[in-house]
Amino acid sequence: MPCPVAGPYNDEVWGSMKAGPSQEEIRRHNLGTLLRHVHIGGSLSRTALAERMGLNRSTILGLVSELASVGLVREGLPRETGRAGRPSLVVRTESDRAYVLAFDVGVDRLAVARIGLGGVFLDRREIPVPPGGHDAGKVAEALAASALEMVGTAPKGTSCVGVAAAVRGMVRRPDGLVRTAPYSGWEDEEFGEDLVRRLDLGLPVSVENEASLGALAEHLRGVATGCQDLVYLHGDIGIGGGIVTGGRLLGGDQGYGGEIGHMVVNPYEGRPCGCGARGCLEAEAGERALLEAAQRDPAATGRDAVRAVVEAADRGDVAARAALHDVGDWLGIGVANLVNVFNPRTVVFGGTLREVFLGSAAQIRSRINRHALAASRENLRLRVGELGDDAVLIGAAELAFSEMLVGPLETLARAGA
Amino acid sequence: MTATPILELRGIDKSFGSVRVLHDVSFTVHPGEVTALVGDNGAGKSTLVKCIGGIHPIDGGEYWCEGRQVQVHSPRDAAALGVEIVYQDLALCDNLDIVQNMFLGRERRRGLVLDDATMEEMAAKTLEGLSVRTVKSIRQQVSSLSGGQRQTVAIAKAVLWNSKVVILDEPTAALGVAQTAQVLELVRRLADNGLAVVLISHNMNDVFAVSDRIAALYLGRMAAQVSTSDVTHSQVVELITSGRSGDLGLAHSNGATA
Repeated sequence: MPCPVAGPYNDEVWGSMKAGPSQEEIRRHNLGTLLRHVHIGGSLSRTALAERMGLNRSTILGLVSELASVGLVREGLPRETGRAGRPSLVVRTESDRAYVLAFDVGVDRLAVARIGLGGVFLDRREIPVPPGGHDAGKVAEALAASALEMVGTAPKGTSCVGVAAAVRGMVRRPDGLVRTAPYSGWEDEEFGEDLVRRLDLGLPVSVENEASLGALAEHLRGVATGCQDLVYLHGDIGIGGGIVTGGRLLGGDQGYGGEIGHMVVNPYEGRPCGCGARGCLEAEAGERALLEAAQRDPAATGRDAVRAVVEAADRGDVAARAALHDVGDWLGIGVANLVNVFNPRTVVFGGTLREVFLGSAAQIRSRINRHALAASRENLRLRVGELGDDAVLIGAAELAFSEMLVGPLETLARAGA
Repeated sequence: MTATPILELRGIDKSFGSVRVLHDVSFTVHPGEVTALVGDNGAGKSTLVKCIGGIHPIDGGEYWCEGRQVQVHSPRDAAALGVEIVYQDLALCDNLDIVQNMFLGRERRRGLVLDDATMEEMAAKTLEGLSVRTVKSIRQQVSSLSGGQRQTVAIAKAVLWNSKVVILDEPTAALGVAQTAQVLELVRRLADNGLAVVLISHNMNDVFAVSDRIAALYLGRMAAQVSTSDVTHSQVVELITSGRSGDLGLAHSNGATA
């Protein structure tokens, strides 16, 4: 049976129908959990680990030495304590020992990163989309070439333990088929399989929607750390979405869930959307709607163009203000619906929506306060993403690390180190 | 949402000579929240803040801090209660570096000399705690910083002293869009770290982007103090410009009833 995407959000190591886990399974689970704690939490003392994991200190000691013996963690002095007395040692990840490759397939740029345990960027490159970017093969070729160069320059004794790619499109679970990526012009591309072949690292490549990965990144390392229920809206050329409920990324039946950009907000008189329908949130509140309403040069797109509108509005440009006002209104309607359906603790505005939110928060909030149910909105927090342009790569890295954090020793052994 | 407010003013009156500036003003501030203080020019925002900060003595009313009634006669009293104010002009010294500014007038000493190492460490820790990554070196002169970075240093200076309430007077007024975003994120982070933050602002987007509560002053009276999740932009604008909006706000003083 194919394993449903073993994401970091998939916390259950053993199925509920099985008999009790064996000692070996428990140990494997504990090793993975400990590694996850220091991977996400940074340096932690053994006492803190014992508290967080609910294990006694001698068990922690054993787990730490086992992970240290394969070079995944090390113990050292904390940087500063601010307290008198002998500082207790902290466990931290050896960020160079095991790393992953993260890919971000943007509309006009591709990003490749080599990210070490603990979420440390070890290497990062941006390359333009090769001519003929509507050909997924060309993109995979460019990404693989750049990635293999990185792998080649990685120090000896380090190993690649996972690969993940973010695409602006709909990705089928569990096989990672890219059903459609409209802005790249892709249809039914076996992009992940293609990358596996070209990289030839003996590793599977996970493929996921970019906004879902942004949501994951903000959930694990960004503004919504520790928050189990969040809705993430990612502004790019369109509006993407990622929903985390109960600490798990929502995928739906086949992985297509969370398409917030295509939530219908204005079907009768709405603007036409790229998907063929009318009045989707993306059509009313996306980049194109904002730039058109602000009467901007249609050739200028992207983050700088959006920022220019917000800046113009700040200086008093009436067209820009009206545009932000309208877009904020539609965004508020969209978020109000999401708040009523998911009751999130936090709604995060990422990508270009960060600027849009700060420039139209009054409209967004007013709409939410008018349409979201009082009980659902009373503890709602609206936040802007903290990870900026790196959110997608960070999320991809977390997805790529997920196997490592379930069975660290096995994954390392398979990586041939 | 939080049970005891960290700061509570009850029925504050304040006059300058024959001019009555604050009239029966009540104002509460909760830890972990950003309270936006809004009002037209001359509504009494600055006077209220100066009363909280101990610069103006209050004529009448009660000042409560963490559930105890207190007397605040000077800025030093306010600082002792953990109340810090960042004024619009920031009061930073251009010719000093970031660490020197943060400890200005409250330098740490070791014996007879200044304890530079400790001050540097504390300053670095505070900036790190606020996730400030925009300043290159904390030994940089303040004259070399941008407007947003200055604001950040002024805020960090206020936070350094284990303060519980930080009051920010128009922190984004003179800033561009990108720097405003940075400062707003910082404001939000202060509250998310458990501080009580009071934000004075004229910009409704800033107010709605970061605040948890909105307190609207109108002609020296507190028109309403409401949860940000309960009001709309136009209601707040009405509270600011006419002191009332539907059921919210002041009863009409001229005898007309709604």
